[in-house]
Amino acid sequence: MDCKEIRDLVSELWGGELSAEAQEHVDKCAGCEGLFRDARLVQAGFRALAEEAAPEASLGFASRLVRRLQEWEVKGARGEFFETVGRRFVYATLALTLALLLSMVLPTLGPVRGVGSADFLGLQAESQLSQPDVIGGDLGDAHELFPGRLTD
Amino acid sequence: MAISESEVTREIECIRCVQQGDGEAFGLLVERYQQRIFSIVFHLVRRRDEVEDLAQEIFFKAFRAIRSYNFQSSFATWLSRIAVNHCYDYLRKVRASRLSYYSEMTEESSRELERKLESPQAGGLDHGEKVTLRDFVGRLLARAPEDDRVILTLKELEDFSVEEIAELLKLKSSTVKVRLHRARKRMLGDLERWRQEGK
Repeated sequence: MDCKEIRDLVSELWGGELSAEAQEHVDKCAGCEGLFRDARLVQAGFRALAEEAAPEASLGFASRLVRRLQEWEVKGARGEFFETVGRRFVYATLALTLALLLSMVLPTLGPVRGVGSADFLGLQAESQLSQPDVIGGDLGDAHELFPGRLTD
Repeated sequence: MAISESEVTREIECIRCVQQGDGEAFGLLVERYQQRIFSIVFHLVRRRDEVEDLAQEIFFKAFRAIRSYNFQSSFATWLSRIAVNHCYDYLRKVRASRLSYYSEMTEESSRELERKLESPQAGGLDHGEKVTLRDFVGRLLARAPEDDRVILTLKELEDFSVEEIAELLKLKSSTVKVRLHRARKRMLGDLERWRQEGK
């Protein structure tokens, strides 16, 4: 048997009895002998650790835990409700704000000139007519785009 | 923990009650399993001051998850799995603050212990020697990777069989055997390095 095989065997047996062949190697090889002794020492250490008693639960551990769980259930359920409602409220407010901002900005600025509130009502703002169009460059394009309205 | 058939039936009824929201029934389960959970936590974490808090968190998790318990494995196994996973996460979290040096056990005291272990009256270690050994292996465990620590603790300290560990960790028995073998090998290798560093 070589050292590698002994190492495997020691981890397998974990301090248990070696076969005669393995023992023969261990007796001659200082490295493997040390490893075997370490395995026995570690195993004894584990036994000593296992003997050590775990701490006991303090008096009333279970009833305290149940009380806390019941409190958590009430709070948790209420908290979850408010959290959900609150989150929806925030989203709705944000969406409304965004919609308001867009409705204020879109009719007067940028390339998107949907049906603006004034246009929709047929009240073409004078100031808008007198200003050059940012898309077309002059009012000629606007005439083509909205011929019906300009004749009114 | 062997329990009779009638106890199993009562336990099942109790679990069903908890699944329907009966917190008091959960208290009975806590009372039955608290010592088992305390033992697993203590052996895995090895910090007396943390055991109760961690056990509480484990039972909390179990209560929240109990509706998902489908009676496939025993309740003890299911609960122990939650405990092991919770401790595993805890060990990973505290890894950075873990002790990174070995026991103060000298070469001489180590030899003395070895001689005693080899003597025919093995088991004749006095209290101080047992404390030294615990400290020594406790520190070796603290240095081990979490996976090794979990598997070695379940086998060597909690005395679970390979099959029980396999069920608990949802692994094959053959995988548990291989992992156990590797964990022991790594631990011995670690100890060997320490010895060489000390020379």
